[in-house]
Amino acid sequence: MSNAQQFDTRLVGEHAGEIAVESPLAYSMHRSGAPKAKADTTVTLRERAFLGHLTLRGGAIVLDEALRDVLGMSLPGEPLGLVQDEAGERSIQWMSPDEWLLIVPGGEEFDVERRLREALGDAHFAISNVSGGQTLLELEGEAAREVLMKSVAYDVHPRHFPVGKGVTTVFAKASVILRRPSEERWELVVRRSFADYTYRWLLDAGEEFGVGVER
Amino acid sequence: MQRYSGFGLVKHALSHHENWERQWRNPTPKKSYDVIIVGGGGHGLATAYYLAKEFGVTNVAVIEKGWLGGGNTARNTTIVRSNYLWDESAALYEHAMKLWEGLSQDINYNVMFSQRGVLNVGHTLQDMRDIQRRVNANRLNGIDGEVLDAKGVQALVPIMDCSKNARYPVMGASWQPRAGVARHDAVAWGYARAADALGVDLLQNTEVTGFKIRDGQIYGVHTNRGDIEAKTVGCVTAGNSGVMAKMAGIKLPLESHPLQALVSEPIKPILDTVVMSNHVHGYISQSDKGDLVIGAGIDGYNGYGQRGSYPTVEHTLQAIVEMFPIFSRVRMNRQWGGIVDTCPDACPILSKTKVKGLYFNCGWGTGGFKATPGSGHVFAASLAKGEMHPIAAPFSIDRFNTGALIDEHGAAGVAH
Amino acid sequence: MFYIFCPYCGEHREEEEFHPKGQAHISRPEDPEATSDEEWGDYLFFRDNPRGVHHELWVHAVGCRKFFNITRHTVSYEILEVYKMGEQPSITAENYAAQQGAASADKERNASQAKHQEGVRA
Repeated sequence: MSNAQQFDTRLVGEHAGEIAVESPLAYSMHRSGAPKAKADTTVTLRERAFLGHLTLRGGAIVLDEALRDVLGMSLPGEPLGLVQDEAGERSIQWMSPDEWLLIVPGGEEFDVERRLREALGDAHFAISNVSGGQTLLELEGEAAREVLMKSVAYDVHPRHFPVGKGVTTVFAKASVILRRPSEERWELVVRRSFADYTYRWLLDAGEEFGVGVER
Repeated sequence: MQRYSGFGLVKHALSHHENWERQWRNPTPKKSYDVIIVGGGGHGLATAYYLAKEFGVTNVAVIEKGWLGGGNTARNTTIVRSNYLWDESAALYEHAMKLWEGLSQDINYNVMFSQRGVLNVGHTLQDMRDIQRRVNANRLNGIDGEVLDAKGVQALVPIMDCSKNARYPVMGASWQPRAGVARHDAVAWGYARAADALGVDLLQNTEVTGFKIRDGQIYGVHTNRGDIEAKTVGCVTAGNSGVMAKMAGIKLPLESHPLQALVSEPIKPILDTVVMSNHVHGYISQSDKGDLVIGAGIDGYNGYGQRGSYPTVEHTLQAIVEMFPIFSRVRMNRQWGGIVDTCPDACPILSKTKVKGLYFNCGWGTGGFKATPGSGHVFAASLAKGEMHPIAAPFSIDRFNTGALIDEHGAAGVAH
Repeated sequence: MFYIFCPYCGEHREEEEFHPKGQAHISRPEDPEATSDEEWGDYLFFRDNPRGVHHELWVHAVGCRKFFNITRHTVSYEILEVYKMGEQPSITAENYAAQQGAASADKERNASQAKHQEGVRA
């Protein structure tokens, strides 16, 4: 077991519930609004807030072994790969040759991190809980790709961007992690500090497609 | 030399302007000269002119591989100012500024020097602290300068977005009223004509292909038109300086980068000063013809292609439109790139080299135009006397090994 | 405008995602205390600035954030090869010149052959 300290940032005992947890988009939705879907809506935007985001760094072989033990999932075999469990609740994305992003249902990340640390033992690795630093936005619908084409220079044609691929790229001058978990759904992992900007950009870009925000 | 004057203009009108003399000769290279200047841009031509005029050295050749003033002299955004931070560079650029102020009369050529003032806009608190420090330093060096607040900027440039909601909020600016712009081509042509009149040979379409060096002393150059001899050679070749130095077996701490500029279609007079923003890497002025002249940042990679990247120019235009919403529908006419020889400390190199008699004047990076007369004058003095002029001395190539750098990244305008 | 192949992501990406980081293969002196001012200044400030083939360090800044090397022609801007950190370039100024010479000789030979073939066909 590594001697790195793990911080559990949840409020417990008498302090539980003292501070309301707000999603990075709480203020944006309040200030910029969240248009409802209409009859002619062809793209839907939703935030999946409060998920557990863990950045895993280290050698592929040891991490892969630990992930199989703890989650029964393995690392994507190729660069730019994205794998999910059967329920589609947990995902692992290739970020760099020695870095992966693991996203799990909210609250599970503390337990997963502890078990991964146990499984990895003395191996050379790093796990960072970045849940508070980023959030996940989803674009769904036939116009989702059109909205993306207005926003990223990256080629999002299905021939070039099949299901199960994920990239980090430039999104309207900011950076975004863009991934395609299924045929009709795209995910954007954005930094908390850029969430408002990205949200407002998407509202603007999606206006012509009658973008609806699901809350 | 045929002197230009109002009377001359009237006289030539009578003959339908068909009898104007050529501005300079197109001489055949002689076997040898006292001094050879490699590079016929603004700085090289100015050096030749001051050699002949101030130091009596008239047996001079300027060797240019293309045409006169066809490199960075023809490609810059023509800003002239002297508000540099450190004493060494302030002295150099202010020396140039004083020469600019009398240049048109001196060379009998209208270089259209217009002291319309230059604003260096500050967008952050740190920008403003730097601006205050720089203006204070300028005043101690006898250089005019003021710190303006946002209201002051707005009064000078009413079309600029100085509101609180601006993408790049304007907190203030440094203002040098004596600064301005000049007509870049006229500077090259004026110096060429004046130097030619004093006997300097301007050799165009002549490319230096090597240096003749014996026992650590230079004695001439190889060119595509034969060998030419001289015991003193000044190399003033901007973006190509690294290539020239390599021919002479000298290392220079230079990297040549693409730098872009662009002009819009001509519009009615709307901007009567120069606005620079270091923070967003953009600067803008309006030419007498009415074009908006816009300078972008440099591309980070080395390049001799005289063209830059699209993202760089896009970034600059986005910033310009944020600062001047009124220009959002102005169309850009032309875009081009130059090769700037950037130095690690954003200051030029005016230096002797380990080859006796071979001097370099280079490393001006993104801001050499403003120094043209001063650079030429002190470099000429150094070539004539064999000792670096006191203003040029601190800009020795040795500073990169001794550590006596002159860090002008803050005042150099476009960071490089 | 560059379209750069990232050797770690394994595909071409837009120039906007990258940052150039200067000359490649610059190594810090093993023992800084023992270097002369001359050597230290050379290490800090003096770089190759060739008009032609150049080896550069780039970083895929918005992407996998890894550094890698590019061999590029500084006049045509053509990217000649991309290689990972720790690897050595296969194209250098010397062998590039030889290769170009061979290629143009090839072209001439092909051109003369083509002429010959045309003659036969006619």
